[in-house]
Amino acid sequence: MTDVSHHAATPRRLDPRSLVLTAVRKLPSLLFGIPLVATMNGTGRIWLIPLALAALIVGATSLWLRWRSFTYAVGVDEVVIAQGIVNTRRRSIPIDRIQDVAVERGPLARLFGLATVRLETGAGETDEGLLDGVSLAEAQRLRGLLRGPALGPVGRTMATTDTATATAPAERILFAMGGRRIALMGAFGFSLVWLAALGAVWQAADGFIDLDYDRVVDRIGTARTAATRALSLLTVLATGGALLATGVVAGFVHTLMTQHGFRLSLADGRFHRVRGLLTRTEVIVGIARIQLALVERGPLSGRLGWASLRFQTLGGSDDAGGRQDMAPFARDAEIAAIVAAAGLPAFDPQPLRTVAANHVLRSALVHAGAPLVALIVAGILFPPAFFGLLLLPVPIGSALLARRHHRYALAGRSLQVTRGVLTRREWTVPHDAVQAVSLSRSWLQRRLGLVTVRIDTAGARGLHRPDIVDIAPADAVRLAANLTMTEMKWETVRSSGVATPVTTPQRGPDDERNDHEHHDTEG
Amino acid sequence: MSIPELPTMRPLDPRQVAVLRAHGAAAAVPVLLATGVAELALAANDGPNGIVAALALLVVGWLVMVAPRRRWRRWSYAFTSHELHVASGWLTQVHTIVPVARVQHIDLAQGPAERRYGVATLVLHTAGTDHSRVTVPGLARADAESIRDTIRAHMLPTPSASARPVAPS
Repeated sequence: MTDVSHHAATPRRLDPRSLVLTAVRKLPSLLFGIPLVATMNGTGRIWLIPLALAALIVGATSLWLRWRSFTYAVGVDEVVIAQGIVNTRRRSIPIDRIQDVAVERGPLARLFGLATVRLETGAGETDEGLLDGVSLAEAQRLRGLLRGPALGPVGRTMATTDTATATAPAERILFAMGGRRIALMGAFGFSLVWLAALGAVWQAADGFIDLDYDRVVDRIGTARTAATRALSLLTVLATGGALLATGVVAGFVHTLMTQHGFRLSLADGRFHRVRGLLTRTEVIVGIARIQLALVERGPLSGRLGWASLRFQTLGGSDDAGGRQDMAPFARDAEIAAIVAAAGLPAFDPQPLRTVAANHVLRSALVHAGAPLVALIVAGILFPPAFFGLLLLPVPIGSALLARRHHRYALAGRSLQVTRGVLTRREWTVPHDAVQAVSLSRSWLQRRLGLVTVRIDTAGARGLHRPDIVDIAPADAVRLAANLTMTEMKWETVRSSGVATPVTTPQRGPDDERNDHEHHDTEG
Repeated sequence: MSIPELPTMRPLDPRQVAVLRAHGAAAAVPVLLATGVAELALAANDGPNGIVAALALLVVGWLVMVAPRRRWRRWSYAFTSHELHVASGWLTQVHTIVPVARVQHIDLAQGPAERRYGVATLVLHTAGTDHSRVTVPGLARADAESIRDTIRAHMLPTPSASARPVAPS
């Protein structure tokens, strides 16, 4: 494996066993043929045999052709993936654009001794560099070759010897979760989402079993009489308890499936994460690719001192938020160690400053104003709805607390933001990860003298961005100026002593406020 | 160290109003066509004539005469050789700041109307998510080109310019 470039030029095919694996994966689709067979009469069934054979041959041939036409080659500075029988497609991925190399092994793939390698680049496409079905040894070879040549030849040679089980000497385990920790995490993993999912599955299965309309009507009838007869407090409690238990068990099972054997280690400037019970996933996250750190504290587990740590990476991840779990259930000290290993400053809540006082007013107007109007309208039509007004202190209360829990500060070369009342989130965004900053003011915010500062980072997907909602215009401008001050500009500032060579003369905060009011009159 | 403040924003090139007017006129064509069809249908069925046409004329008048100037006024920009500022929006006003060092690549786009009036749209691509594309419409062609050339000179040569340097101490 030492003369990489020599071997690399020759294109390789996926492991032949992946053919069988793909065929097995496609088996469930055959089930759709069963109703067809069932509805056919005798003569039809005789014709079916050659038809099925023909379909089988066509399917197998196309599978084989597709496998034959799919090749990949690792060159000195790029990976070339060619595929397609009629429409051939040749994709070359420059190696220095590859952000993460993920190795994934599903239960079936493990049976066949195969692994899926996913090359993640900054682009949004998920299937960009997907090698579905290479041998485990090949997967490890690829990972060794591709995980960041920028970090020198050490990584290349070391990676070939390092496997999922054996720990290379330079690898340092940062965080691991044993059975007890996972069980504890599972206990907090209770979620109504699992209940809903289970309910949907149950309903689907139920519907599958009896589609007979009369019987369904009959069932509803009996269910109704049974319900009216048995609707005592006891049954309600029992049902609730059963649902709760199901939720807890489901959350527990889900946690076990995804987090079993969680291990996070660090070697050569890259985090290496392994986890999963049936589907075992391996993810490499290069430190240079980390865009921000997000610590999340749940409503209950957070109060008991547990938190989760995720990194947002340039390449994103399969996670809906585009972030990689680094420690899903950990103590603050454990999280601090990982954050420090990533070269990020520790999250320090002490110097953080709160957002503008009017944030409370705006939150109350937005979160309580709309329900208030709705309740008054409802109350006019249906007077008992006025009792709903008693609930209004809830949004007002959370609005009051929102300001206490929404703080931010520039700590050294990074921005730290915390937001959230029930689930508390803490972001640490390195200065250099800020791609663009925008100051946005809605109609209401202009009236209240507030600005929302949105910080745009690479690879952000979904919710929970490190935005700072509702601060005074002068603060927003100062913050934005600091955040957009790049390396280059810092140099100019230091060398020349002037802020910006091309900008207009220095202006005080008063002028800048005038500037904002000027905008107001325009709007 | 002195903290730099927001630079004075410059309005778009006045010729952009004409471009927006042309766009408004283009948008008005289907409206007028639909009105013609509706009027004919109403006339054939002895319906009241003129109401639809009057409404359509109001809409077209707004699109061509009133809206372009208003939309033009919403926009402003500033370029400080280190960052590009773009402000726009009516109900929600957004002021976006893109540091030049974060620009991945730049496009200069010109539609038919823009070519006719000598203006151009500058498009900055960053590695960001919401601001992966920041556009400044209605710059005088020469201004847009000079901004583009300045940014190009400042752009980092490596393709992964957005990646952080390893382990900042």
